[in-house]
Order: sequence, then C-alpha cells, then structure tokens
Amino acid sequence: MRHRTFALVTLLAAGILRFPGMAHAADLTGKILFEGQAPVKEVQKADADPTCKAMHPQGIENDSVIVGADGGLKNVFVYVKEGVTGAFETPKESVAFDQSGCQYKPKVFGIQTKQTLEILNSDATLHNVHSLSANSPQFNLGMPIKGMKLKKSFDKPEVMIKIKCEVHPWMAAYAGVLDHPFFAVTAEDGSFTIKGLPAGAYVIEAWHEKFGVQTQNVTVADQPQSLSFNFKAA
Amino acid sequence: MRSVVLHRYALLVAASTLILIAAGGLVTSTDSGLSVPDWPLSYGQVMPPMIGGIRFEHTHRLIAGTVGLLTLGLAVLAWRAERRRWARWLALGAFGTVVLQAVLGGLTVIYLLPDWISVTHACLAQTFLCLVGVLALVTAREWSEAPRIESRYAGSIQRLLITTTAFIYLQLIAGAIVRHSGQGLRYHFVLAFLIALHSLFIILKCSREQGTLRALFGHALLLGGLVTAQAFLGFASFILTRRPGRGEVAPMTEVLSTTVHQTLGALILLVSLLLTLRSYRLLARRRNVPESHAPEPASGVFKGLPS
Repeated sequence: MRHRTFALVTLLAAGILRFPGMAHAADLTGKILFEGQAPVKEVQKADADPTCKAMHPQGIENDSVIVGADGGLKNVFVYVKEGVTGAFETPKESVAFDQSGCQYKPKVFGIQTKQTLEILNSDATLHNVHSLSANSPQFNLGMPIKGMKLKKSFDKPEVMIKIKCEVHPWMAAYAGVLDHPFFAVTAEDGSFTIKGLPAGAYVIEAWHEKFGVQTQNVTVADQPQSLSFNFKAA
Repeated sequence: MRSVVLHRYALLVAASTLILIAAGGLVTSTDSGLSVPDWPLSYGQVMPPMIGGIRFEHTHRLIAGTVGLLTLGLAVLAWRAERRRWARWLALGAFGTVVLQAVLGGLTVIYLLPDWISVTHACLAQTFLCLVGVLALVTAREWSEAPRIESRYAGSIQRLLITTTAFIYLQLIAGAIVRHSGQGLRYHFVLAFLIALHSLFIILKCSREQGTLRALFGHALLLGGLVTAQAFLGFASFILTRRPGRGEVAPMTEVLSTTVHQTLGALILLVSLLLTLRSYRLLARRRNVPESHAPEPASGVFKGLPS
C-alpha cells in the first residue's frame, strides 16, 4: 500500500513537472470583430496562368480581409505573447499547407518550432513556396507537379512569417511560429479557442495582416476565460 | 583603319544590352526574381512553363544568354579587326563582365536575393552597357577622323562632364539600393537634384562657343532632355509605389513606370559617359587664353567637324 501511494505521488509529480500548471488549466475563448464598413475586395486577374484562369475566370478576390455576416474577422492570429513558462514538446503531427485553387490554404496558421510543415501542391500547375523568415533559414521551393509534397520546419519563434508564391503574385500566407502550443486562428465568425492554458497571468496578442496588432492582459484560473478584440480600418 | 563591321556590331550589342536591362527591370518591378528557384536551368528544364512571374524571369535569362553570345562574338571580332590593343582588351573586358554578370544573376537566385548581390548585379549591368557603348564610340568614324576643336572652355567642360557622370553612376547605385532594400531614398533625391543642375550647366557651357556648340551641344541637349524625363518618371514611381491600399500585385502603371525609370537611368549614364569621352576626343584646350575672357573669337580660329 505504501509503495502504491508512493508510485502514484511520483507519477503525479512527474506529470506536474512535465506539464507545469497541468493541475489548473483552462481554455481561453473569444471573438474578434471588425468595426465599420468592410473594405471592398480587390479582384486580381489570374490571366498569368491558364490553369488558374480556368479555375477563376472572373479573377481571384483578395483574401486579406474577410469579415463575416455578423462582423467577425477571420484569419486573426491570436497567441500568448508573454507569460508562458516551461518547455513544450514538438508535436509529432504535421501542419498541412496546401496550394489549391491557386491560393494558399490555410492563409494564416500557427506552428511550433521544429514542427513539420507539410506543403502540398493540389493544383495541376506549377507553384512556388518562398518563406520570408527572418529568424529561421528561408526556403524557396519550386513545386511543379500536382500531388507533390515537401516537408520543412522553422527553427525559431517568429510572428509572423510571410509565405509567398513567386510565380503567382496574389498568393500569400502567414505563419506564426511559437515555441509553445497556445495559439489559435479566428474562424469565419471571428471566434477562437486557445486550449489548456495553465493558470497564470498572460499577455495575449491578436495579429491581423492589414489591421496590425492588439494586446490584452488576462489572468487565467481553472475556469474557461473569455476575451475579445475589436479591429477597425486605419 | 577602323572596322565598320565592328562598329555596327558593337551598336547591336549595346542596343541588346539596353533591352536586357529593361527585361531585368521588369523582373524586379513584378517581383519575379525568385519565380525560378534554380539556376542555370529553370525548374530543371531549358524551357519551363511560361506562367506568372516565370515569364519575366526566364525571358530575362534568355535575353541574357543571347547578349552573352553576342558579346563573345564582339570580343572575337575586336581581337581580329582592331589594331588598337586597348580596344581589343576593352572588348575582352566586356565579355568578362557579362560572364561575371551571369554568375551574379545565378547567385541572386541561389541565395534568395540578398540585397548586396542584387545591387551589384544591377550596377554591373550599367557598367557593362558603358563598356559596350564605349567600344561603339571608339570604332565610330568621328573618333578616328574628326579634327580637334580648340576651346577655351575645354577644361571646364571636361571636368563638369566627369563630375556629372560620376554623380550619375552614384545615383544608379543609390537607385539600386532603394529598389532592392528600400533604404537611401533621400540620397537618391539629393543626387537627382545635383544631376539636374549639372546637366543644365553642361548645356550652358556647350553653348558658349561656336566650336563646342556644333560638336557637343546636341549631345548635351539630349542628356538634359533625358534627365528631365527621368525626374518626372522618378516622381511618378515614388507616388505609385507608395499608393495606399496597394495589394500584393503591382499594377501595370507602377511596373511600367519603375521599369522605364530604371532603364532610362542606364541610358543617361551611357549618354553622359559618351559625351565626356567625346569632349576629350574633340576639344583641345586653347593655350594662353584664360577662360574668363568673354568675347567670341573670330570664326577662322576653329576647325569645324567634317561634313
């Protein structure tokens, strides 16, 4: 009995040491809204590539600003900027990044340092992936064949890394690279959830490609917490 | 005895080089510099699919290859047809420069457009144009046959032209730095003002005597006209590249404005350099007459250009 108790306590202590704050963790949810009139979306002709033109005969809408019906702002990268302590294992699962319909999908995503980014070309045309990272080595990869896959990773945290296609100039995406897993990207309705945030005081930052950054302080206990941001045009 | 064939061939290479510089400008203006990630092949092929930015980058490579071969022909022709040793070496130097330029072009792709390589690649292009242009000048009839003109202003015109040409070359470097790094715009503006002022002084100086008026005035006016046009293009490029709400893709007006501005810069350098060299070839300093003397001497003093 004494040995069993000792083993249980040891396991619990190891768990707490491995995942600090595991005993008290909560989800941080929220919504990001856009105030005012959503900007008119510029339409870019895709004539430079017959394959893209066939897919988008009327052109491709600029996807930098996507505002939902109820004012939710899509593609805002929300992450814990300050307050995270401890080390976190690199996830074994890859983050999927696709070139489909002559656009990058997803447009904004988060990834941990050294986590695998699996880049796929789903189009029957030639694409190119150029990462404009400042803290990690850049890459510029030609992907001429449909179905082609490449794997890359980023060494160091960086918010945000622009990824562009040097063949199709309208294609751009953004990666938020962090050394912890506490980040999210807003959905069409502007909602986001950062899961399992340990108890503590944090600085949360919301980044948007066109509207810049906003930060808020939040203290997380063992109950779900809610947060909201409002962006507006400059 | 000069080689007419060499002269005309040098003109052809110079014209091709200007087209190549324009094609290179289009690559930068459309942000297509890395659309082909490998070198010397393009996506492992001699001829990749000509889509998107690849159209500009690969076309630039094709024209560059053509100019390289033309320059090799120029060097061979000069070596066989030219008796002036320095002219032969000039042609060989031009070939060496174009080979170096090709290597730099490859390095920009392999190392993902580091600013200093891109700026060097841009400036070397202008230098190469000048080498070929000079070869065309020194194989022209005027260079070998025109009599010299005594001028009290020869020294001051030549010094003014050297200074102007030096300013223009510095301006091209500054322009390349602005284009590739976004830095140094204020130096670009200052140099533009200095060049405009100097080109005006050149026109005024060349108009002060009959001899220089006939020999160099038209060339000086051309330089002044090009500099004026360049000032307007520079202003247009500045406004268009900073247009609010500009998306990922540069609009055609911006592409054309910045490309023509860059190409015209190369042409201005060449025109200024050739004017400088012509001033040394055609003008002789008149001795024992200070430049401050105002009155125009009698017409029999000067020897005009051959008809």
